[in-house]
Amino acid sequence: MHKFFELLDKYLIPFMTRLSEQRHLRAVRDGIISTIPLIIVGSFFLVLAFPPVPFLAAIVKPYAGQILIPFRLTMGLMALYACHSIGYYLAKSYKLDGISGGVLAMTAFLLTSVPVAYQDKGLALLMENLGGGSMFVAIIMAIFAVEVLRFAKNRRLTIKMPEGVPESVAKSFEALIPAAIIIPAVWAIRDALGFDIHHFVLQLFQPLVLAGNTLAGILLPIIIITLLWATGIHGDSVVGSVARPVWLVLLDQNIAAAAAGQPIPNIAPEPFFQWFVWIGGSGATLSLVLIMLFSKAPYLRSMSRAAILPGVCNINEPVIFGTPVMLNPLLFVPFVLGPVIIGILTYFAMDIGLVGKPYILVPWTLPAPIGAYLATGGDWRAILLVFVNIIVTAALYYPFLKAYERKLIKEGTAGEPEEERT
Amino acid sequence: MKILLVCSGGMSSAIVVKAIEKEAAKTGINVEVKSVGSGEFAEEVKNGWDIALVAPQVRHRVNFFQAAAAEYSVPVSVIPPQGYSPLGGGMILAHIKKVLG
Repeated sequence: MHKFFELLDKYLIPFMTRLSEQRHLRAVRDGIISTIPLIIVGSFFLVLAFPPVPFLAAIVKPYAGQILIPFRLTMGLMALYACHSIGYYLAKSYKLDGISGGVLAMTAFLLTSVPVAYQDKGLALLMENLGGGSMFVAIIMAIFAVEVLRFAKNRRLTIKMPEGVPESVAKSFEALIPAAIIIPAVWAIRDALGFDIHHFVLQLFQPLVLAGNTLAGILLPIIIITLLWATGIHGDSVVGSVARPVWLVLLDQNIAAAAAGQPIPNIAPEPFFQWFVWIGGSGATLSLVLIMLFSKAPYLRSMSRAAILPGVCNINEPVIFGTPVMLNPLLFVPFVLGPVIIGILTYFAMDIGLVGKPYILVPWTLPAPIGAYLATGGDWRAILLVFVNIIVTAALYYPFLKAYERKLIKEGTAGEPEEERT
Repeated sequence: MKILLVCSGGMSSAIVVKAIEKEAAKTGINVEVKSVGSGEFAEEVKNGWDIALVAPQVRHRVNFFQAAAAEYSVPVSVIPPQGYSPLGGGMILAHIKKVLG
């Protein structure tokens, strides 16, 4: 077993770390994360417009269109916000002006859409090109724009302002030549060559999005995340930086369907993992903490008492490092296998329609039953599924925890925590 | 002593902040502890800290934190995993003593 942890330490972690710390992916991660408050608050208006309780739904129905305005201008323009932030962070990582990076990124992204004439009211940009579904277009165009900015700076293709010009003015002029490259370039490709960049990029990433919604597509991130955590590395933050764009596209499609009153298409946007698999944190450790409350080992008991409240809020570092679960050969099996089993269980429960599919993003520190209820737009069966998943993982953890407990007692390290800690 | 803690989102380290404060109060050491997420670290480390402690789950980013802290000569150290729990205050204070000599 220790050989196995060594192998993880030697191969999986450096690889995943390098991947997630890659400059562009890091900018994508930070850029998307900065839009999460908008998604959470914005998609909440979707619930307000279509409340899960029928009699409330009847009351708000005449106002649904108005209630949806904040939703449409936050969630509905997600890719636009993300594009600016990605451009900002990528430019910062090159030590370029962040605001210039953000503004240029947004320009490049917007230029991939051609405005259409709207009745006699003038020109309109189609909002469907600016929502989360277009996330990959936003990412590609933000990277393109910032790379042009960097190229221009490196080649000294900038206009130097005489001394005494305020810094903000001088900075904006630094973006002049990059803008003069980006705008005509994207316009020429889109209009003169008639090449639909938007459509092309979406087609390119379509297989990835489809794969992300399959059973294999949910098990792969689950296994990699638990393997990383098994050696004590923050699995979700590493895997999330690669997988989050896909999860967001899936979420966007679900939200669009919900807003249109159609059936929810996708099972596996991020709330799937958050509320039904990572109950209590990665590794579904809430069940472990619960059974540890009754452990024969005083150390495990006091550890679980300290870890239960954070655990209910899905913060499980205390369990992972305190128990410890990390590098613990006895707890490794249920830690990896449990989430796989409940992942499969949940997938099929949603696939055959026993439980609603998630389409709302809710703050991740809520207790899982509440989060699951809200994320599925108010499906009470989601709460039941969460409890089933807790019981399943608890049953799996139980024999392994017992074995670990026996080992602690045999070693004489099960006693007073304070003494052995210091 | 001013101690800056960094974890992924600043959530779990808030628990450890309490553990350190509790232990420090017990042993009569005067500490000021703050926790930040990895995204805020570079901004916060400027504000005069004696030591920056990295949560074990983000130890793969330690080079990044070190680079950000080097400019302000704040020593950066990864917390021993077993200390990163509500009961680990003593272990962390012992670790700090060892690092700062």
